[in-house]
Amino acid sequence: MAGLKMTVPLTLLAFSIALVIAVAVALVQFADIPIAKQLCRFYIWIFRGTPLLVQLFVVFYGLPNVGIRLAPFPAAVLVFALNEGAYGSEIVRAALESVPIGQLEAGYCVGMSYLQTMWRVILPQAMRTAVPSLANSLISMVKDTSLASNITYMEMFQTTRTIAAGNWVVLPLYLGVGFIYLMMSTVLTWLQRWLEKKLNSYGHQRG
Amino acid sequence: MSMLEVSGIRKSFGTLEVLKGVDLTVNKGDVVAILGPSGSGKTTLLRCVNFLERADAGTLTFDGERFDLGKIKNSDIARLRKKTAFVFQNYNLFLNKTAIQNVTEGLMTARKMPRDEAFSKAEEALRRVGMLDRRDHYPNQLSGGQQQRVAIARALATDPEIIYFDEPTSALDPELIGEVLAVMRDLAKSGMTMLVVTHELNFARNVSSRVIFMENGVALESGTPADIFDHPKEERTREFLRFISREHT
Repeated sequence: MAGLKMTVPLTLLAFSIALVIAVAVALVQFADIPIAKQLCRFYIWIFRGTPLLVQLFVVFYGLPNVGIRLAPFPAAVLVFALNEGAYGSEIVRAALESVPIGQLEAGYCVGMSYLQTMWRVILPQAMRTAVPSLANSLISMVKDTSLASNITYMEMFQTTRTIAAGNWVVLPLYLGVGFIYLMMSTVLTWLQRWLEKKLNSYGHQRG
Repeated sequence: MSMLEVSGIRKSFGTLEVLKGVDLTVNKGDVVAILGPSGSGKTTLLRCVNFLERADAGTLTFDGERFDLGKIKNSDIARLRKKTAFVFQNYNLFLNKTAIQNVTEGLMTARKMPRDEAFSKAEEALRRVGMLDRRDHYPNQLSGGQQQRVAIARALATDPEIIYFDEPTSALDPELIGEVLAVMRDLAKSGMTMLVVTHELNFARNVSSRVIFMENGVALESGTPADIFDHPKEERTREFLRFISREHT
């Protein structure tokens, strides 16, 4: 299916950007940087508080009114990345807060700076905690990309609808596309398991 | 000349005054044990001295350099911390790093030591605490006593001028306390300067060169182990020692 070639890059690119946003926003909040922290809260408030579909419409159909014209693909990437970044940042923040404070203190006591300790000790431990929830979001996002059809992006679902429009037998088509989404999610679930196993190499914390 | 001198240190948590003006002097090669009941402020004192808590007032002199604890700069804190090391009650080994990586982290990341040099230094430190054969184990694969010995190796490897110990054996099962105390005794013998908050009376009595008894946010009494254990001046010290030795036998 041709649509698959559109869905996969959209998901991968948007999710990669979302991860960077999520980690950055989470770190700003964790470090309690004034003003920047408020900006981050505002960003999360907006993107968690409004429907994804509305965000897509605002960016694709709304922004041209103020002179910002985006093609369907960049518009979709932008919206999915920002939306996912907002949810992801809360996951990462919670994971950062779950790392015992003693880890940071130990970093200080061997002479490491805040940033060094965050990067080499706290963040790796937090990411391990965050992986299952982030994988959840990624799987949701694969399916949510079908919404991009609303801004004329020819992703998989939109392609199917176009084909269906010229056909009498639509059930197999829609079942088929559902099956493809299911397979993509399955692959991602495997990936999640593999990654969790890899990150778990240092074992679980004992009480 | 004293290496570390703290005077008039004060710290409150909200309305609770935990340190009410404590003075403390540690000379090079000293092993100073701080004893006292729970809540007497001894751990807070140690944490303030290494800036894990920020004291409200007081001065700290390290190697002749004097700092006002109420308004010490972050850059000074970072500089002082590179001359000291800290051993925690609950070890606080980096959970995502192996034993040897725990030791090299402070050398390579914080002190920019070349990798080979850092690893040979770390191996030497692990050998000294008897943990070289567990070098590639993660903290969660080690017993409490083993983790604490790795933590001591981590402290040792940075060539600190002084090591602070915060109740290093309090989280350990009784049968594991001995191995950690043996390592500490060995360190003391080698001339390492140590400031130790502890409940181990035998260690304080036999290994330390000076004992401080804290109660209620003040250093009530200090002296040689013989002074404190055999001729305590304060009634509270006597009571505490009686109580503790009864509990530990």
